Amino acid sequence: MKKMLPESELARDERFVRTKIEDRLFDPRGPKIAQRNTGPARMGVDRPAAGERSRSLMHGIFVGEIQALEGAGRTCYDFDEPDAPFALKLDMARQCWDESRHCEISVKLGDHMGTEIGEYTESTFLFAAACNPDPVLRLCGVNRALEGLAIDVFNSMKTFGNESGDPILEFCEDWMLADEVTHVKMGSDWLRRLTEKDPERRERALEFQRTVDAIFNLGGFRGEDDENPVQLARNFRRLAGFTEEENDSLAELARESTEQARQMAEAATATLNASSQGGS
Amino acid sequence: MSKVTVRPDPFTLIAYDAGEIAALIEDAAALVDFPSDVDIDLDVDEELFAPLTGHLSDVVDGRVKLWISGGNLEDNKLPRTFAAHQARVDFVIMLLRAKDRLSDDFAAAPPDGSLSRGERAAWDVYAVGRALRLGLPMRRQKQLYDFRLQHGFTDVADAAFERLWESEHTTWNGIREICKETGAVDRDDSKIPVDLLRQK
Repeated sequence: MKKMLPESELARDERFVRTKIEDRLFDPRGPKIAQRNTGPARMGVDRPAAGERSRSLMHGIFVGEIQALEGAGRTCYDFDEPDAPFALKLDMARQCWDESRHCEISVKLGDHMGTEIGEYTESTFLFAAACNPDPVLRLCGVNRALEGLAIDVFNSMKTFGNESGDPILEFCEDWMLADEVTHVKMGSDWLRRLTEKDPERRERALEFQRTVDAIFNLGGFRGEDDENPVQLARNFRRLAGFTEEENDSLAELARESTEQARQMAEAATATLNASSQGGS
Repeated sequence: MSKVTVRPDPFTLIAYDAGEIAALIEDAAALVDFPSDVDIDLDVDEELFAPLTGHLSDVVDGRVKLWISGGNLEDNKLPRTFAAHQARVDFVIMLLRAKDRLSDDFAAAPPDGSLSRGERAAWDVYAVGRALRLGLPMRRQKQLYDFRLQHGFTDVADAAFERLWESEHTTWNGIREICKETGAVDRDDSKIPVDLLRQK
């Protein structure tokens, strides 16, 4: 079996349609929308297209769970001793079990919301973060950055379930949230153990985590304001072992990403306006 | 046959064709037996993309004024591509609601921008249920979820949904009664306008 599987070779059946992030980034409608008030991005029953936006996010979570399963599975197989001790592989195998369950729960939640597998496109940039050839960097990127993001996403969905009075959504998200806290703790634990005598490698791993965090803040997806669909879940992050300093740093990074996205939208709008008026 | 006007024409941000859209509306009008002496204006907001979806159906001075997000017409699996099958479904629902508005039964209904979210969700269920019986592929669970978001995840709300879904005839008062029954009428007013996406 092949080691270090690239994202282009992930197995999917005919229901799945893959999209590239560039498709959205270079969509000429993006800058126009960024200049408009389309209501709070934060989930709520009174925001426009509440049901459709929830279904779309739920499908994104579902494909994210598939990729998390694939990432943890690859970590079991891609590395050998002593780079990846057997106990680490056992943790990853346990995570595979959790992610499989999350896939099933997400499919059922999709049914509950009235969507179906493959109704929306899949972007595989989550799995791309799970392709790092260094197991420590991979663990930091996946178990601390991405599973940390999962904490934020599940907590936002759980809050939405509570506020909309949907006991099924709230209950399911709460259970999955508990698993994600464990996954982050496993990542933190292995980061500490594998880099105990190599502070430089630890710093490289943390830098990789910050890069992945920055990618997933893209366009203000995560933050602490109403304009961020996914809210930073400080309390659950604390339970997972993130320090207050790390949470503050991530919040600051999220604010910077939101601001960058705003500036990019303004620049793109100016360019579009100039070209429509015959400028260069 | 109703005169159908589609704006913008041409589309500049996305490759939709106003003529193709107008033809789909004419087909939808025939399917719902829409009065042939009423003209139809459709505004498509081509800046909006999925999942920023929504549509509105109003009657102003005897003309039907429709508005729809470009996201409704976009293929979920192929961004920036027109999905005729999806558009057809939405046009039928929009015209069923517009036809309701032309009848005495809905004469007292306020414009779409002034409906509460509960009223709109209930009216949509009534329209989508009829669209299904006209042979269109509708997803019941999706409609139920949207209804529950505005009317609650309760047995009372589900029973109300069932009645609307199966109903061949109801009135504006019937819609309002449903909202009283589920408690949607008692929900706090939101500061977010129902037709926010239409506002530029």
